[in-house]
Amino acid sequence: MVAFAGCSDGKQKQARLHPASPALPGLYSVGARIFGLPGGPVRLATPPVTPLAGWLTPAGVPSADGRYLAYNSWRELRQDDPKLSWSDQGIEPGDPLATPSIRLYDSRAGTDDVLAEGAFSLAWRADGALAYFKGAERDYRAGVSYVGDVVVRPSLEGAPEVWSSERGRYIVVGWAGPRLVAYIEHEGEALDVVVFDGPGRMRALAANSALVAISPNGRQAFVEQGPAQGRPTVRVLELATGHEAAALDLTRVDAAVGWVGYAGDWRADRVVASSASGLAVFGVAPGKISLQKALRVAASSVAEPRFVDSSGLRVKAWTSVRRGGVFLDCDFAEEACDRAMPLPEARGVHGFPAWRRPLYNPSRPLGTS
Amino acid sequence: MRRAVVALAAATALLACGSATAADGWWTFDRNTNLNSTLAWKWTYPPSPAQYSRSWRAGSGSSTDECRRGEGWLPAGWYAQWGHWNHYGGSAIRGRVWWLQDKYCYDGVTKRVELFIHSEETADNGQACTSAWDDPFCWEREADYYSLGCIKLARPSPVADFPGDLGSAHSYYHSYGGSSNHGDLPNDAYELYVFS
Repeated sequence: MVAFAGCSDGKQKQARLHPASPALPGLYSVGARIFGLPGGPVRLATPPVTPLAGWLTPAGVPSADGRYLAYNSWRELRQDDPKLSWSDQGIEPGDPLATPSIRLYDSRAGTDDVLAEGAFSLAWRADGALAYFKGAERDYRAGVSYVGDVVVRPSLEGAPEVWSSERGRYIVVGWAGPRLVAYIEHEGEALDVVVFDGPGRMRALAANSALVAISPNGRQAFVEQGPAQGRPTVRVLELATGHEAAALDLTRVDAAVGWVGYAGDWRADRVVASSASGLAVFGVAPGKISLQKALRVAASSVAEPRFVDSSGLRVKAWTSVRRGGVFLDCDFAEEACDRAMPLPEARGVHGFPAWRRPLYNPSRPLGTS
Repeated sequence: MRRAVVALAAATALLACGSATAADGWWTFDRNTNLNSTLAWKWTYPPSPAQYSRSWRAGSGSSTDECRRGEGWLPAGWYAQWGHWNHYGGSAIRGRVWWLQDKYCYDGVTKRVELFIHSEETADNGQACTSAWDDPFCWEREADYYSLGCIKLARPSPVADFPGDLGSAHSYYHSYGGSSNHGDLPNDAYELYVFS
């Protein structure tokens, strides 16, 4: 294990933002174009996007053997201009606005087909079991909560089985061994982290919290609670029992951290998460969480940070600028980040800036990530 | 800081009007910080173009990235208001609330959903304050201005001396051009504009 020097010593440097760098995630998307799949870059039928989940869950998840990419797609049934209100656009209650779907790209066959229509957010287990949220209706409609069920297929060819005991607004995140970790979303985008032990066996793991990462062995979850729900805190919870193994009050560490966000990474005994000022790396030991390093990043916010290697010193993430998504390659030893914007001319839907996002599998244990 | 931006002349004009039934109103939200932004209720008396307003300190989100679901403040743009309740009984939000439409954030892809204007109070407009550090239905401290994305207004509680901004906003809404109706109000003419 490589120890960090100068932990939380207040010497954080402003991350540098270079105009270009070759440092990119292993598998990533720029609009509908995918880089890092076997056989080289491809253009998918539609961009991997998660409008109803943001980056609470990956936009796309590769299979354990790397052959497939299951990804979220969004087909607008009518344009919805963010500048205008629904009333001003003539959008009536119940009007169908879009259809979310999960699609499957097969890099060997070169096919790209709908796997589940009226569905989004998926988790792919090492043995091939695939879990996702399936809407009670196919379409997302104006003024109608998009409720549905969590379903699990034992394999791509297997029949879906409903695991949720009642309909709700679920967002599937990842497998933790045999257990499935997901969110239930309430009013105001309030989130509860829940665990499914099997069909009809759901329990709350962490109310008013979000998942940073699942431990490498799939037995624990690192969860965060932001300032809107009380004192900002991170906790390690046993997934089998919900028992709190460790906790850290973020108001008692380097103030640069402030709070941490969801969708981080856990490698060996370290966890990386986005923070109010950039990135934070925590050490996890039995009964204890410690802040090891905080890195300021000159960006509006940082999303989906992931360790590059086992050293725990380099992290890749992304942020947004006016022209679209930008990948960050951050070195905690140098206390600096480089950035890269592949295909800078790329545009997203309706001319909006293109998303540039890493595609990964947060489930654990898993041979790939 | 609670701010009243109604000019003296405007206030005089209001008093002279006597009745507010002909007013036409709308919300604006000026994003400054997560803890200290400004929610205003504005109204006119058509056909006069003169605008009147009252504003309150309000919070939104814990991040200024409007695309962060459950963390970012309310995205910019016009919103239709789709409902108003005095005794809303949700699991996370209760009491006097206004429900807003879903909205794409600046990336044109990420939808922010389940958005409200609200405070921290019980469904019967009371306070449920216990010994916990932060009760979800009790306005205890400055940090209660943080939200997961909604707009939040302060209100008094037995454990803290915050202004009754929710009650004031509710009163102005109903008195000066807002709807007198409650419940689901699809296609309500009363909109919200969030400044960039």
